[in-house]
Amino acid sequence: MEYKGYAGKILWIDLTREKIEAKPFPEDLAERYLGGAGICSRMLYDLIDPRVDPLSPENVLMFATGPLTGTLFPQACRYIVAAKSPLTGIWGEAHAGGHWAPELKLAGYDAIIFLGRASKPVYLWIEDDLVKLKSAERIWGRTVLETDEILKEEHGEDIKVACIGPAGENLVRYAAIMNDRYRAAARSGMGAVMGSKNLKAIAIRGSKDIEVADPEAYMEHVKEWHEKMLSNPFTPSRVKYGTTNLIELMQEIGRLPAYNLRQGVFEEYYKIGGEVIYRKYLVKPVADFACLQRCGRYTAVYNEPYRCMGGGPEYETLCSLGSRCGISNIEAILYGNWLCNNLGLDTVSAGATISWAMECYELGLISKDELDALDLRFGNHEAMIELLHKIAYRKGVGDLLAEGSWRAAKKIGRGTEKYVMHVKGQEIASQDPRAQKSMGLAIAIAARGADHAYGFPVLDEVGFEKEIRERFGPQYLPEIADRLSPKYKGFMVKECEDYMVVIESVGVCKYGTQIPPVFFYEDIAAALRVTCGLKISSKDLRLIGERIVNLNRAFNIRLGITRKDDSLPERLTKVPEPAGPAKGHIVELDQMLDEYYRCRGWDPKTGKPTYEKLASLGLKDVADDLLRRGVIRKSAS
Amino acid sequence: MPYIYADPLRCTGCEVCALVCSFRYFKVLNPKKARIRVVRKEPAIDLVIACRNCDDAPCINSCPRGAIKKTSKGIIVIDEKKCDGCGKCVEACPLDALYIPPGEKTPIKCIVCGACIEMCPVNCLKIAYGSEEALAKRVDYARRIMEKILMSRGYKAS
Repeated sequence: MEYKGYAGKILWIDLTREKIEAKPFPEDLAERYLGGAGICSRMLYDLIDPRVDPLSPENVLMFATGPLTGTLFPQACRYIVAAKSPLTGIWGEAHAGGHWAPELKLAGYDAIIFLGRASKPVYLWIEDDLVKLKSAERIWGRTVLETDEILKEEHGEDIKVACIGPAGENLVRYAAIMNDRYRAAARSGMGAVMGSKNLKAIAIRGSKDIEVADPEAYMEHVKEWHEKMLSNPFTPSRVKYGTTNLIELMQEIGRLPAYNLRQGVFEEYYKIGGEVIYRKYLVKPVADFACLQRCGRYTAVYNEPYRCMGGGPEYETLCSLGSRCGISNIEAILYGNWLCNNLGLDTVSAGATISWAMECYELGLISKDELDALDLRFGNHEAMIELLHKIAYRKGVGDLLAEGSWRAAKKIGRGTEKYVMHVKGQEIASQDPRAQKSMGLAIAIAARGADHAYGFPVLDEVGFEKEIRERFGPQYLPEIADRLSPKYKGFMVKECEDYMVVIESVGVCKYGTQIPPVFFYEDIAAALRVTCGLKISSKDLRLIGERIVNLNRAFNIRLGITRKDDSLPERLTKVPEPAGPAKGHIVELDQMLDEYYRCRGWDPKTGKPTYEKLASLGLKDVADDLLRRGVIRKSAS
Repeated sequence: MPYIYADPLRCTGCEVCALVCSFRYFKVLNPKKARIRVVRKEPAIDLVIACRNCDDAPCINSCPRGAIKKTSKGIIVIDEKKCDGCGKCVEACPLDALYIPPGEKTPIKCIVCGACIEMCPVNCLKIAYGSEEALAKRVDYARRIMEKILMSRGYKAS
């Protein structure tokens, strides 16, 4: 690999045949897809047969870092893990920070691709050039924290571990992959894919160098980036609260889901928000590798019955296990967070699935008998905690709930489907889009099913008007900055998606690049130039972003996804917000979708990229593949 | 004697100091080539380890070639011309603050250049003065505060 910053190699692990091979990272892939989300999107489009069962050996699981991962760019600690999702049956991906991804690069690898299925449980041990599949006999069945400890006993305290917990082993469809104990690549069930491959963990010690292209200029750039990041007015509040004070902020704008997304305000929000956590439970802020914002929390609950200590929580978890379930007992929520981490569960889908069951129970659609005699009212925190155990081990009703709310409702029927808050099978996270229209579109359109983070259109959330003007131009103001207006949101979400996939391809965090919006394309281009020697302009980066989004879309339309799937539950598009600042609002989805498809150059009727569009993005081979499969047609001209 | 110190409950474990250090002396990014290292230990401890420039330094006494000396400012330095990489000093150092990084022949150690201090995003690094014993007391103090905060409120490590 001629480019610096990269480790230059991709590990191919065939679990069935126990074959390990390190292949060079192709330069043209770096130029066209950067790394991370980009190379996963490209390689998995080619590697995954669309017909495969996501939990079969034929699915392919890929971990990838970006060229900036492990460098001194602020928050350059991220990796992506991707596969066909067992939760949605379409494109699946999850992301996490921590120290694991930099360690993988220091060991000399940008990415790992897992094929097949091991005949018995194994883990992968990487120590620079030594790469070995080892028996997971001692760790299979163990929790995340136990696994981390046992592997550190075996290989030394300084190793970095990514693993699955019992949830992944038991193929819970929203099982997470956990790294560095508390960091979660949580969404779309990547932990279940790992479990289906009989792969328990990846433990790494790396001691190689990450080189930079322009050592003379590098440190000056680093100093500039760091100053820019640290002097941002958002940074002190990130340090103090992490993401926890979003509870208070989202309550203020009526975007805090409560009671299974019935409403966007929660009367007891102050009991579960940033202030109470800062005062009573925060031990200290912890940072991921090269992270200047340190939004990671380390918290402790000192009293029974919810005594626990560890990483988190994030806003998403406080809402999913809290307001969403009508629960205001903060110690139960913190314990639930700890438990999800330790069991390897996505807190969002877990909380959302439980809150769906709670609503159905209160409406009499699911009986107490079906719930192992649990009195599953909103607010019952003991039941919530018990269900998390049951789900991870698929015990009793947990076996049903482990399928996710969408599948569970399909099995039960009786009108419970109406209360599933999902898109394409994945549960909607902690955003009531009736209070922020752009979020509604982003969730409906995202590649991995309901997902606020794919487009992450947070600029209109609390009014970054200056940045909106700089990034999109003044002609769209004021509507584009108005969270309750659907106008220009198709354009905005498209632009945000293109940028966010670039960020996920270079291996840095969305914090610092999107919220607060400190760094933009030109900074990333400069970072790639001095770090890697990649001569990619801002304009090229925009094209790469668009290419990746189109590739994810191609992956999905090959599986039958069309405009009709880019939908939201009726609760959000037909039922006016019942309370709070957004009272009376619905999500005007169709209007925004029309604009979005137009901006994308996709067919507005089907939501499919056109042959010409794909070809113009350098994806002619993909266009031909879709043509051959009869998924798209060439236009008449 | 001067050395780099950080309160383990203030340090967030981002390892920016280690990257800055490896870049300054090796022009690469690699925490395993840094003269300052961060040890993360449950619960919630991020401990920065850099040479303490001990008064009665075991590394100086251990060197068979007389390659390790203390400057007038109290900083222990290794004469790379004299050093043959035998590793005696590495064994002698009680903190592993002096070690031979991967791919190198001679040991490295912190010489208190301060490059990391300026780049610490938390501003928790500082140059401390004192003997090894004094530091031990500080670390012990931090540990006891941690116990006081956490353990006395009912938490016990399981």
